[in-house]
Amino acid sequence: MTLLGRDVVEVDALVTDRYLDSLLAAADRRIVPADGPAAEPPRRPWLLSGVRRGLDPEFPDEGVRLASERLTRDLPRFHPSFRFEERLAVRLAEAAASMRLPVAAGGEGASGWTTMPQPIRGLGVDPLDDLGDTAPAGSGPRPLLFGGAVAASALSLAGAAWMVWRRSRPSGSPMARAARAAHAARAAHATRAARASHRPSTSSMRGRPA
Amino acid sequence: MARPVFRNAGAAQTAAPRIAHLDLDRPLVDAALREPGRFEALYRRYVAQVYSFAYYELGDHHAAEDATARTFLSALTNLSQFEERARPEDGDGASTFKVWLFQIARNGIANERRSSRRHPAVVLDDPAAAIIADPLNVEADAVRRDEAASAWRAVGRLPGDRRRALVLRFVNELSTAEIAGVMGRSEGAVRVLLHRGLRGVARDLVDGADGTDRRRARGGT
Repeated sequence: MTLLGRDVVEVDALVTDRYLDSLLAAADRRIVPADGPAAEPPRRPWLLSGVRRGLDPEFPDEGVRLASERLTRDLPRFHPSFRFEERLAVRLAEAAASMRLPVAAGGEGASGWTTMPQPIRGLGVDPLDDLGDTAPAGSGPRPLLFGGAVAASALSLAGAAWMVWRRSRPSGSPMARAARAAHAARAAHATRAARASHRPSTSSMRGRPA
Repeated sequence: MARPVFRNAGAAQTAAPRIAHLDLDRPLVDAALREPGRFEALYRRYVAQVYSFAYYELGDHHAAEDATARTFLSALTNLSQFEERARPEDGDGASTFKVWLFQIARNGIANERRSSRRHPAVVLDDPAAAIIADPLNVEADAVRRDEAASAWRAVGRLPGDRRRALVLRFVNELSTAEIAGVMGRSEGAVRVLLHRGLRGVARDLVDGADGTDRRRARGGT
């Protein structure tokens, strides 16, 4: 089918489409900073294509050209808020990390692997607080990977080692010092009381019959 | 901005131009397939476009944010199913990552409309509130707001397919072949939609209160 045999609307639409290609390409050239000054768009861009050569030079009509230029220049473009963009980036990172886990397990799938949220941990926080069963809601987004029985054994050994270390190093906080002082005072008082109760009094010896 | 290159093979084949290059996003897609964390580059490249498309379709910032989030999460989880069809021998339905992403967005927006029972005709009546004001140039800013508002209203009055085609062409700067892939129509049908949409916008602008446009459309200065 030749171009002239087409429906008139399709021909008009084809020419309009070529005009839009030229218009938007010219807009791109103006936006992108080149080495020299930005090139001006051709006044009759469709004449350069060759297809329209010899046809109606006033095509597309003035209304379509005006509307195209107005929409190219004035139709607003919207951008999401920075907060939303970053929040969604975090969600995507979480999803990507969860997709990466089965691959990291050597293709074994999710069985044998446990993910648990990693709390955001600041310096100076007692690590014992994190060994409880209940994790705080809304804690750190990044998943922490633990691998089955090996991880459980490692946790047990680490817990036992920590308890030994904790008992060998008493806390230096004021409350702990006060508690230790009170405990020591109570122990000393009990020792003295026990010694006193086992020692015979002189008055009782004095009154004893010979 | 990089745009697709069309293979123009003369008048006999002008009805079916094809995207003659491979997907420009292919390296990023391959990287994301190997390492899902690399998907962020694709996300940063297209988040504004997808959001803008969703906002034009839904007319609400919160709904547009929800649709954008669903689009990218779905794209990430289904990235392995993406099949590039950007070569001429791939035939009709050219599909690049951008086309595929906008297809997901379009489907998600359609579901959003069905679930919320919104009217299909979008209400675009408050563009001035969405445009960031320029405190240093109040007069030019007011003119810009008026012009954007008139263009916004003219596009908002169009039927759904024509409005969608114009938004994808002028806001998202997709080619006709890409719009055809997104909308599931032939390229000829998309060209007719664009042409008729532009005629409708032109009528609206000429018949509107903008005397400058009316004079220019009549050939005046």
